[in-house]
Amino acid sequence: MLPDDIEQIDTTVRATLRDVLGLSQTQVNAFRSETPLFGALPELDSMAVAGLLTELEERLGILIEDDEVDGEMLETFGALVRFAATKLIV
Amino acid sequence: MLRFGPDTGPVVIAALPLFEEANRTRTFVVTILRALAARGIASILPDLPGTGESLLPTESAAMLDLERAYARVAASAAQANRHVYGLTVRSGTLLDGLAVLRGRWHLSPQDGKSLLRELTRVKQAEVGPTRSLPDYWFLGGDTAATRPVEIAGNRISAELLAILKLRTPFADPAIARRVVRMTTDPNPADRKFDSAPLWRRSEPDNNIPLSEHLADDIAEWIAACER
Repeated sequence: MLPDDIEQIDTTVRATLRDVLGLSQTQVNAFRSETPLFGALPELDSMAVAGLLTELEERLGILIEDDEVDGEMLETFGALVRFAATKLIV
Repeated sequence: MLRFGPDTGPVVIAALPLFEEANRTRTFVVTILRALAARGIASILPDLPGTGESLLPTESAAMLDLERAYARVAASAAQANRHVYGLTVRSGTLLDGLAVLRGRWHLSPQDGKSLLRELTRVKQAEVGPTRSLPDYWFLGGDTAATRPVEIAGNRISAELLAILKLRTPFADPAIARRVVRMTTDPNPADRKFDSAPLWRRSEPDNNIPLSEHLADDIAEWIAACER
């Protein structure tokens, strides 16, 4: 079943970061909205971004166009959750 | 080519995902095949053209070559009067369509469109955001139209990339097919297992408890098909 509220989306994005980047549950539980991602997490290099986006597409049932991918959506955890929520609502 | 299990009874022909995910899942799939052997089920993991120990350069492998090679292994096993089943993983599920199989067990099947989208992203990441992707591979490019493309260390033929978006895992209601996914995947499945997807990890990993659960599932499914 696809996540349909912001709490479920938050949980899904957290779990996807955990699984794709090999982070611990404790690490991702500590993420706050303002926690920086791209450029701050050494595991999140440009190659990992490709896997992260594809996995988010699968888990959330969304399609992310290449021109939607920019530094802003990956800047913080909150920005990534907001991006995912926007895709689901649209 | 790796072979496991007894010389009689049903035999499973395995196919790993294409490209990078093959490296990430090979140990895990071999662990599943060993677990199947412990349950009395034989298996073969062929080196399809351009993969594993194959001498063919990776960029020389066309989709049809991979499908035909897989089908030949299945036919060879069938000629020895074995009942043959498919066990394919992720984009490996795109390779069993030409084989005559009594059933297909698909782990987290991925269609070609999704794989191509991911490869496109990886290639864009490699060339950098300021460079135009069509200059580097077949998509919309002129000079690069027929050249192989290197993506994350894998040289891939333009033909294989071009055909990916048309391919979906084999599914025919008249032929047994069991789809198994991780609980994180919302797509429909016959059964889901609570585990992280190993194919997403940048380093190859293994999950022995999961391999045991999956081997149980495969063995029960084959037993049901054999009845």
